[in-house]
This record gives sequence, structure tokens and C-alpha cells, in this order.
Amino acid sequence: MEVQGLQMTETKTAPGLFKRNPPIAGEAEAIERAKAGDAEAFSKLYALHKRRVYTLCLRMLGNVSEAEDMTQEAFLHLFRKIGSFRGESAFSTWLHRLTVNLVLMHLRKKGLQLVSLEETINPSEEDSPKRDFGSRDTQLAGSVDRVALERAVASLPPGYRMVFVLHDVEGFEHNEIAVMLECSTGNSKSQLHKARLKLRELLRQSESTAQTDLKEAAL
Amino acid sequence: MILKNSSPAPMSCAEFQEQLPDLFAAGGRSSIDDPSLSQHLETCENCTALVRDLQYIADQAKQLLQPTHEPSDSVWKKIQEGLASEPSYAAEPNEK
Repeated sequence: MEVQGLQMTETKTAPGLFKRNPPIAGEAEAIERAKAGDAEAFSKLYALHKRRVYTLCLRMLGNVSEAEDMTQEAFLHLFRKIGSFRGESAFSTWLHRLTVNLVLMHLRKKGLQLVSLEETINPSEEDSPKRDFGSRDTQLAGSVDRVALERAVASLPPGYRMVFVLHDVEGFEHNEIAVMLECSTGNSKSQLHKARLKLRELLRQSESTAQTDLKEAAL
Repeated sequence: MILKNSSPAPMSCAEFQEQLPDLFAAGGRSSIDDPSLSQHLETCENCTALVRDLQYIADQAKQLLQPTHEPSDSVWKKIQEGLASEPSYAAEPNEK
């Protein structure tokens, strides 16, 4: 099945992605067997990659039901396309690219135009990160835990969250994101910067709330 | 005699922060080779804290690559149902 907008061929991957996605023991053999239609091997690939694919879908969509549907779609698509995987990039990188493209296609079908992030999913003034000129005592404490960061990412406006997840979490380059989202690399850089500014704001609020709670508990 | 001041006006916070998307795309603070940017960072606590925080957030984001969520069992069941209709699928003997 050829689906518009999906790049099923492997593209040259940044060397860093191999570092971030090292091969998993037994994965190469399972891939070869799955290419021949071996169900057990495919089951193994699902077990190895389901969490990361699902987490990626969940972060991009922010909705459990849709994330599960897209995880299902991604693995069915994987089964059909695994024959075209040649091992030029890490398998997980290839699988994640396939998943990202499916999710973006799903969002476009829903009517969310990703052509211009600025115009279509730009957050309201209220959601925009504040400019930070001249204020003092603004630094993060430097001990942001994973749960707080995850919560902050989940509360980002969709356009910011998308670029942040693709770049800072998944490790895609701005030029790759620009192709995926059909926007300029400048737009991708700008959205990422705004996403980080917004996260800083959210994390500072979270730190401030935690400190207030501690003070109240001590009284 | 009027002496001309040849050094450029100091960069404002707004001007500095406008450069940040490109600066981070190029590799962050370590990649700064523009003297006016370096000079601003040396003299502005606020922008120094901002750059440090944004770098910290970017670094911390990498830990999110490790998954925290797991799909429900129904996802695999639906995948199996979908695979059953694929002509090249050789069904496994045991349920996962």
C-alpha cells in the first residue's frame, strides 16, 4: 500500500542516532525472520519496540485511544514494509520515522494543517512563552525530575510539543522535521525555541508550587 | 578633536535572545563564535541563566527517550487480527 506523504525508504541518518538507538540483542535475527513472514519474530519485534512506539504516539497525540490506534497502525505498516529495511540506519530510528509519518498523516486527515505551524497550531497569547528581559532569580534549580518534565511536555501546545518531541526527545534534525511537517527549517528552529521557553516557564511554576507545598507542610 | 567610538553598541537582551534559535541549532553555548554574543553573555546574568536553563531542558529531554508508557493488551490482539488477513503472514502457534 502506498500512502501519500509516507517515506518508506531509508534516508541517511545522523551518526548520533545510531548512538542513541543502539542495536538490541536478537533484533537483527528477528528482523530477518519477520521479513520472511515469521509471526513469532514479528511478535518479538513488537515486544521490543511497543513501549517506545506507543510513548512516541502518546506524546505526539496526547490521547490514549488515538495513541493505541496509531501504535496498531504502525506495527501493521511495519509488517508490510519491513522488507524494505536495509539496515542503513538503526531499526528503531526507521520504525520511529515510519510511526511519525503515520501520526502526521492521521493529523492531516483530521484537518490539522501542518504546512504552517505558525499559522495553524500556533498557541494563543496566553499559551505563548513570555519573553525574559531583565527579570532576576529566574534560573531553574537544576533538579527537574523526569515526571515533572513529562508533565510539562504533555501540557505544551500541540505545535510546540510536536517539534520538541521530534527534535529533543527523538533526535531528528531540523531539516528532517521541516520535511515531515512541511515547514521551513527556520520555522522548526523557532517552534523548538518557543517550546523550550514554555517548558522553562512551566517547570519554574512547578518548582515554585513544590517549594510552597514544602513550606506549608513544615508549618 | 572628536574621537569616534569604533566599538559597536552593546547588544540588548532582545537582540541576544533573537539569536537563540539559531545558536542552539548550531550546538548551544559552546558554539558561540560571535564576540558580541559572548560579550553579552559575560555581562548579562539574566541571559546567562536563560541559556543555561534552555541547555538543561534540551539535555534532560534525552532521558524521555526511554519509554514510560505501555499499550494495553488489546493493541496486540488487534494487530494479530490485522495480520491474520495479510497473505504473507505465517501465524504463530502460541498466543503472545
